Amino acid sequence: MGWKEAAEPVLTRMPTVAQPEGHVPFKRKLGWTAGILVLYFFLTNVQLFGLDTAAANDLFGRFRSILAGSQGSILQLGIGPIVTASIVLQLLGGADLLGLDTDDPRDQVLYQGLQKLLVVVMICLTGLPMVFAGNFLPVDPAVGQALGVGDFGVKSLLFAQIAVGGILILFMDEIVSKWGVGSGVGLFIIAGVSQQLVGGLFSWQGLGGAAGFFPTWFAILTGQQSISSPLTAEGLQALFIGQGQLLPLLTTVFIFGIVVYAESVRVEIPLSHARVKGARGRFPVKLIYASVLPMILVRALQANIQFAGRILQSTWSEMPAWLGQYSDGQPIGGLFYYMAPIQSPQQWMWWTAGTAAEPWQVLIRIAIDLTFMIIGGAIFAIFWVETTGMGPESTAQQIQNSGMQIPGFRRNPQVIEKVMERYIPQVTVIGGALVGLLAVLANMLGTIGGVSGTGLLLTVSITYKLYEEIAEEQMMEMHPMMRQMFGSD
Amino acid sequence: MSSGQNSGGLMSSAGLVRYFDAEDRNAIRMDPRTVVAFGVLFGVGVQVLNAVAI
Repeated sequence: MGWKEAAEPVLTRMPTVAQPEGHVPFKRKLGWTAGILVLYFFLTNVQLFGLDTAAANDLFGRFRSILAGSQGSILQLGIGPIVTASIVLQLLGGADLLGLDTDDPRDQVLYQGLQKLLVVVMICLTGLPMVFAGNFLPVDPAVGQALGVGDFGVKSLLFAQIAVGGILILFMDEIVSKWGVGSGVGLFIIAGVSQQLVGGLFSWQGLGGAAGFFPTWFAILTGQQSISSPLTAEGLQALFIGQGQLLPLLTTVFIFGIVVYAESVRVEIPLSHARVKGARGRFPVKLIYASVLPMILVRALQANIQFAGRILQSTWSEMPAWLGQYSDGQPIGGLFYYMAPIQSPQQWMWWTAGTAAEPWQVLIRIAIDLTFMIIGGAIFAIFWVETTGMGPESTAQQIQNSGMQIPGFRRNPQVIEKVMERYIPQVTVIGGALVGLLAVLANMLGTIGGVSGTGLLLTVSITYKLYEEIAEEQMMEMHPMMRQMFGSD
Repeated sequence: MSSGQNSGGLMSSAGLVRYFDAEDRNAIRMDPRTVVAFGVLFGVGVQVLNAVAI
């Protein structure tokens, strides 16, 4: 237990956002959430000072939709450091290497401090190579000359800005968690994905990027845009995966539907009160019990592997071909190619012109992606359930403490735990694997606005959770008695 | 909703970062308004720098 005492003076002194004293009215909560959202959008539009925007390229690439933030802005890092820190904590916590008991107030303080410290470490670990190693955030030479600090000085300035941005994201998340509704991380993900979705549906050519779904179809139907006959193979392809985007639309709607449906699929364990006759309840074990959030950890792991690949490629000129070959910042061969997840239909449909890879290469890549996501999804779901107090042991204790019992069983935490063990681990693994499969499938079929399957899954399930939380909040507003029941006074 | 089990404790907000009620006396506490104000000032500051430099 040595490290706890050694680290305590640092970890307990990490700055925190003050907690609200007493109950925060629902309207105030909404106010804080909206305020943070506006601040987030503002900051994603503030361009880094000293950056040569013309030469910059996004290191996060297609992972941007789940890592939030915005390329070239002071929120360049997005929630990347938070996610990476969370991976480390999940792995350490899930394997029980930390020795922290999250029921003990002192350990809670240490845990919170450790989280923050890890995020700061990750800001450095991702930010430093981003600025100094590859040419991902190129320096504007004019700024260096004007300030007289040279390239290194401007690079330090760039790093300072993205580091401050990363820390701001962390505290903004804390404000939303403590003073607002839901969590900041969730909010930033939905914000980014929704923005892309709306763009993918409605944006028109005049705005700069590619035309969205509706303007394209308007143009096709009014005859302004020609499309080859749907009776030919090319015509069908153009309709479904090309400019017509019918397949992405179907995938998007399908993912929406399946997540909302899966939220309601659950095993319900009946409960009755030990003393109060007639007081009954149910403990729901949902199909996606661990929520979709562990998925982001798996994707982020893949993102970090790709990140390492590109850093290596940009600094090591004699990189062997078996490790990775790149063209325009995209892996086209070698280990890093096979490890890269499929991000769009064009990347694997070898019969179209989208990819130059051989069919067997594409198949290996799909197989690796599927294995990674399904097994990774299941593993991280298990860790997630363990570390967030949703496992059999903690839920049994919660039920016991609330004075409930499972009818027909003795009122004893061990007995409840035995019953929970029949359902929770199995449901968690099935749910995690299912979500992984869905994410890969959605990516392969494409989504509107290129939001990526994981992004879409996350957005729908976070929005659903948010809706539940808002409903609960409103009930508490209307019936102050409920507040005592939920214990959040 | 009848039991309220599911909503109690830590499971409520599915955030990646977890916050507990426990706080150390030594911790530096910040008002959320301070954080927001800093964020706005920082953003505006960088914008101004950009405008001045170009």
